[in-house]
Amino acid sequence: MKPRARTGHRLHSLEVPLQGVTLIVPSAAVAEVINPINMTPVPFSESWLKGVIGWRTLAVPVVSLEVLLGGAAPVDISTGKIVIFYPLSGRKDWEFYALLATAEPRPLVLDGSQPAAERSELPDSPYIAAGLKINDRLMSVPDLDALKKTFYP
Amino acid sequence: MAEPNQYLHLKLGNAGFLLPGVSGFNIEQRDGMTTNESAEGNVAAWRTVHNTRQPAYCLDGSLRVTRHHHWERAVFLAAAPHAVGLVVDEVQLLPGTETIITPFTPPGQPPTRVGHLFSGAWVTGQRAMLVFDPPALIAYLQSLGEE
Repeated sequence: MKPRARTGHRLHSLEVPLQGVTLIVPSAAVAEVINPINMTPVPFSESWLKGVIGWRTLAVPVVSLEVLLGGAAPVDISTGKIVIFYPLSGRKDWEFYALLATAEPRPLVLDGSQPAAERSELPDSPYIAAGLKINDRLMSVPDLDALKKTFYP
Repeated sequence: MAEPNQYLHLKLGNAGFLLPGVSGFNIEQRDGMTTNESAEGNVAAWRTVHNTRQPAYCLDGSLRVTRHHHWERAVFLAAAPHAVGLVVDEVQLLPGTETIITPFTPPGQPPTRVGHLFSGAWVTGQRAMLVFDPPALIAYLQSLGEE
């Protein structure tokens, strides 16, 4: 695939490493990255909901995107990070959510020159909208609308 | 009977939960109840009110039915056609002024016909204690049957 033409538009992003897949998300979507803490289990919840934490007086659900993608949740999260996201569009202002990351997210600046990944290269999942190849590494763009439909059916 | 702005702290196994005072609960001592001597069934004990047996269930921290004999009281929630009870390991009434509840709804499909089991959380630092949604808790307990 040919590189896209540069548009001059720069998007500050974060590379979020998960188990088996790396996400790329706008930095503006992330409220904070924190160290792992004890989570309160939520009885009878979905398998991808790993628990709830207290954060800035709010209760924030912690989700394993790996499970939503059909894989297994990380067993040991002690070396990873909890990435707290702002509420999805149209949701209430207290509905922050968090993903488990296997390592500290790293900043990236996208300028439109990064080639798009082929659909066949991406995880076959409704929760992945697209992908980019950055320095020969595949990064998946989460489909936030699909996540919203699953989180808030 | 608690005030609407009060919360009951329930200890079930290794987990703690809050029950809003608005649910209209009262506490029954084990001495006033008839324990289920059968190994079968989900009911741990019954109390009898106006010739009606009202079941109480013993749940663990995952809210699964369990049986143990080291309990002294049950919390009954007002419900139709009759109250339903929850055996508790410990119970404590918390003043509303000390208990700030933040809204919280678990993402995903609700597990009961009336919605999610939890509608809030009591956040203290990085710890969140879940607050029961009384109608959903009642629906769940009623789904466990009368025996």
